[in-house]
Amino acid sequence: MSTVVSVEGVSKEFRYGVLNNMSLARDLRSWWAVRRGREDPNAIVGQDSKVGRRDRFWALRNVNFEVKKGERLAIMGVNGAGKSTLLKIMSRVTAPTEGRIRIRGRVASLLEVGTGFHPELTGRENIYLNGAILGMRKNEITAKFDEIVEFSGLPEFIDTPVKRFSSGMFVRLAFAVAANLKSDILIADEVIAVGDAKFQAKCIKKMRDISEKEGRTILFVSHNAHAVSALCNRGIILDHGVEQYDAEDIHEVVHRYNELIKNQ
Amino acid sequence: MSEKYNQTDDGSWDLIIEPPNTLFDFRFKELVQYRDLLGLLIRRDFVAAYKQTVVGPLWFFIQPILTTLVYAFVFGNVAKLGTDGVPNLLFYFSGTIVWGYFSHCLMKCSNTFNSNAQLFKKIYFPRMAVPISYVAMELLTVLIQFSMLVFFFFYYMWKGAVLNSSPWLLATPVFLFQLGALGVGFGVIISSMTTKYRDLKQLLSFGMQLWMHCSAVIIPLSQFVDRGFGWVLYLNPVMPVVAMFRYAITGEGPQPIGAWLVSLVVSIVMLFLGIAVFNRNERTFIDVI
Repeated sequence: MSTVVSVEGVSKEFRYGVLNNMSLARDLRSWWAVRRGREDPNAIVGQDSKVGRRDRFWALRNVNFEVKKGERLAIMGVNGAGKSTLLKIMSRVTAPTEGRIRIRGRVASLLEVGTGFHPELTGRENIYLNGAILGMRKNEITAKFDEIVEFSGLPEFIDTPVKRFSSGMFVRLAFAVAANLKSDILIADEVIAVGDAKFQAKCIKKMRDISEKEGRTILFVSHNAHAVSALCNRGIILDHGVEQYDAEDIHEVVHRYNELIKNQ
Repeated sequence: MSEKYNQTDDGSWDLIIEPPNTLFDFRFKELVQYRDLLGLLIRRDFVAAYKQTVVGPLWFFIQPILTTLVYAFVFGNVAKLGTDGVPNLLFYFSGTIVWGYFSHCLMKCSNTFNSNAQLFKKIYFPRMAVPISYVAMELLTVLIQFSMLVFFFFYYMWKGAVLNSSPWLLATPVFLFQLGALGVGFGVIISSMTTKYRDLKQLLSFGMQLWMHCSAVIIPLSQFVDRGFGWVLYLNPVMPVVAMFRYAITGEGPQPIGAWLVSLVVSIVMLFLGIAVFNRNERTFIDVI
């Protein structure tokens, strides 16, 4: 099996708290004062204004792994472990501070269901818009259109503006678009946290199908041990931005993850 | 560390994600790839703007016509500021639509990051598609409004006015390109800055108001020149375009060709500067906003 994702020494640094003084005028004043060797007039009392004004922290620290074609990789970890940051870097929403990620094939990322849906547009118009935002060409969407509508189970509402949809209907349509995309790698973050149990099961089955039948690779972030064991065939555990565990035995990964929560 | 991966590296990667390092990295090919998205974004803005409105796209005309009538009454009839020999309505209408095109381009582009933050936080696509779709939409609007301009033109001809459109009329696409480039340039720079400094938004709304009054949209260029403010032409890249456009249509009024050439250079520089600043910001703004 060939490698389709290669994550090499990826780190991401964030800054704590306020990024600036919230106004250009005050930033300029601070900058001017510090330049003249004076104290920053906007600094917090007691804080040394001249050295490293702001605290920083690493959301990810030197993460390395490879994903092979057709793998369904779960990325697990408690809140703040860096899972979402990792997926965001992979989906190019934000840039890494260090390291690089190399990807073979087309990536479809589904960080949140229904991103880019416009409430005033109809279901049909939104399928096209959403597909295009996810990087599909118009004719590709047309080819998949019936499949998408069928999966969503909403054929009778397809020409209704989505603002009149219930939240469940909304989610079903949105997932249907993303799941039916022609992509080689599907990145999904807690997508199935929405919708009812039946729909969740349907989503997991769909993701398993596209992976097993079409050899698509899936990167899946979830807290849901049940969903992870049902879907994935490999797992990584992140803790404080560092990779803790990586194994093909998904039950072992879930077990370790549960231990991690207990020991918190 | 890299040796570990060399065995699988046969140079056939489709995508390499690295920390941002280049200043000017305009990925034109990627935009071509996403051309359907561009079309759909324009459609989205168009459809969403006129859904659940009674007269729909007629708003394209209502707003500039009402503005023109008010200007013609207040500044033409009451204040008697003059129009440099251009028929009243033609003067104000041409100024209003050209200024409207520029200011809408600027204002919309200046909101690129803030109004699309929710989308940009969740998904990747070439961010430049958003400002481009804004400008395309404004271009469409101003072209539709041109039809009204033609109407005014023939109205005055019918009333017996002598209007000799100059060959400069052929330069209209250049005028539109120029104003669009200025709008995008200033707009995306402001947009990149407002992710950090929200107060620029406050400045912008009245700043545009002041800018309009310095652009010979209402006050004719001759008034500036007579009072010794002719140099504003060289500082304000919008002003010579407005004047040249009026001259192109009616063959009347001043023709500041020198200042216009300066403005052309400024607009190209602003466009590239804007793209550079935008590129610097598009990959990291999400950590800031």
